[in-house]
Amino acid sequence: MLLQNRKFMLGISVILLLVLLGLVGTLLTSPAMRRTGAYPVSLPPGQGTLLGTDSLGRNIAIQLSEAILKSLQVGLLAAALGTFFGALIGFASGYFGKLVDAVLRVLIDVFLSVPSLVFLILIASLVRGVGVQAIALIIGMFAWASPARQSRAQVLSLKERAFVKLSRLSGQSGLEIVFLELMPNMFQWLGANFVNAFLAAVLAEAGLSLLGLGPQKEMTLGMMIYWALSYGAILQNLWWWWLLPVLTLMCLFLSLYLIHLGLDEVSNPRLAAQA
Amino acid sequence: MTSYLRYLAGRALLWLVTIFVAVTVVFVVPRLVPGDPMDAMLGRLAAAGASFNAPELIAQYRELFGLDRSIGEQYVSFLREVARGNFGYSINNFPSKVTDIVTPAIPWTIGLLSVTTIFSWTLGSVIGAIVGWRGGKSKFFQALVPIALVLYTTPYYILALILIFLFAFTWRIFPLSGGAFSVGVRPELTLKFALDVLHHAALPALSIILVSLGWWFLSMRSLITTQKGEDYILLAEAKGLPERRILWRYAFRNAMLPQATGLALSLGHIVGGALITEVIFAYQGLGWVIYNAIKSLDFPVIQGSVLLLVVAVTTTNFMIDLAYPLIDPRIRQAGGE
Repeated sequence: MLLQNRKFMLGISVILLLVLLGLVGTLLTSPAMRRTGAYPVSLPPGQGTLLGTDSLGRNIAIQLSEAILKSLQVGLLAAALGTFFGALIGFASGYFGKLVDAVLRVLIDVFLSVPSLVFLILIASLVRGVGVQAIALIIGMFAWASPARQSRAQVLSLKERAFVKLSRLSGQSGLEIVFLELMPNMFQWLGANFVNAFLAAVLAEAGLSLLGLGPQKEMTLGMMIYWALSYGAILQNLWWWWLLPVLTLMCLFLSLYLIHLGLDEVSNPRLAAQA
Repeated sequence: MTSYLRYLAGRALLWLVTIFVAVTVVFVVPRLVPGDPMDAMLGRLAAAGASFNAPELIAQYRELFGLDRSIGEQYVSFLREVARGNFGYSINNFPSKVTDIVTPAIPWTIGLLSVTTIFSWTLGSVIGAIVGWRGGKSKFFQALVPIALVLYTTPYYILALILIFLFAFTWRIFPLSGGAFSVGVRPELTLKFALDVLHHAALPALSIILVSLGWWFLSMRSLITTQKGEDYILLAEAKGLPERRILWRYAFRNAMLPQATGLALSLGHIVGGALITEVIFAYQGLGWVIYNAIKSLDFPVIQGSVLLLVVAVTTTNFMIDLAYPLIDPRIRQAGGE
């Protein structure tokens, strides 16, 4: 079913292609080639290097391959954290109801309405200079609200179905019902949420990096743009330096969104009929 | 009317709780970092090579936020000072207060964001409704969908870079220097200054409008498509009402509800994205203030801007909530959810 969805397949192919390019670029190069000044400065694409070099003598193709993998790593880790805790909080809220629900619902609403970027700015400016993984953890800490709200709604609708009532009658505990009965029914749908969180996390990392709060010692797509802008790549007309990470980021966002749409259509056939 | 009041009371309560929780997060986070927040700040300044010697600032800051007292007392005095609008002193421009630095930036951010958001939301809704209604019949309309999809998935600041490259660097139509007005010009109430401001605001505004337009268009299009199959539309058609009336008075009005909720929900994203767009254009709003504070390790300014943004976003959300009963009679009558 999923494999026949054109949007999903297009999105996933582009992502896999990016991963492949990232792996090839990283595996085929040595640390010495990644050093500042390893290449002549400001070479346009083609002349000796595949995609040119920046004004510090770094190879753009090599930077790009590292940046793709690191950016995807941030997305993966942050989205995994956000979706997991979001689902847990949403389940608890929807399943237990009453006071638990009242408190958690307010919390979810609060974290949904406040721009999480401002909290990220606050934390990242206190723990400056951390690596990719720490950035991903920080982003993940604030990525649970949206999955939580949706899991809550989903649980509320599932909970009234016959199979849940039956398992309650047969004496299963609350947690057993959540993990054995509800969870398996939500996997595909959680997938769409995961992709959404992934997209938001890559976006957040790029945003933090552009503000100067990214992982200074590592290369992500956001950091690449940050360095390009700090060294005036636009004014010096070194278009390959800033445009290539920009286009890669756009490709990444578009394909993640297509995957999200595809998953949505498969788990909700009414949407597919509409489109 | 009592149900309307009950709705209002619920929303007002949520608004206050949101601000309270957010302020608490802002209080707790710096204290999770090991050590005294003031020492941590000074340590980082020293590490960055800044010579820093203002014992009276440290003393004032300690007194203001009660850093020598217990965490509970610190929390109470933090809440009290924030409620009074006192965010402390800037580290970099010591005698200046955080509010002195942040306040001049607010009108620029509000101006840029309110104009672009209202414009793109309205335009996107109208175009989305027309395309959703007549969708299948026109090749041109169908071509709009993938374009909107690409625009929507592009962050503002990424589009901003492309716009700068095209319209400021390559064709030199708009200023490359950034800022909200020309360097050396003093803000004044003249036509010349107004034109200068518009000239500088054009590209930042365009990048925000194009991206959000994509989203409001897509969202309204799919909302109208779902409305098309509803029974009340069928009835209206059977009654022989003109198509224009059915679209705008029936389908569009019903689709406006989720579209307004969508606006309230995405306000946080819009503000977050716009902050970075300001940085790209060196546009002197709150985003630019935060960026400079980050560069100069001025934590009180970052904290003050963050608090201000939180209050602004939640208050705007509250205002959208207040307007909601005007478009949804069910809330007026039943008191809503």
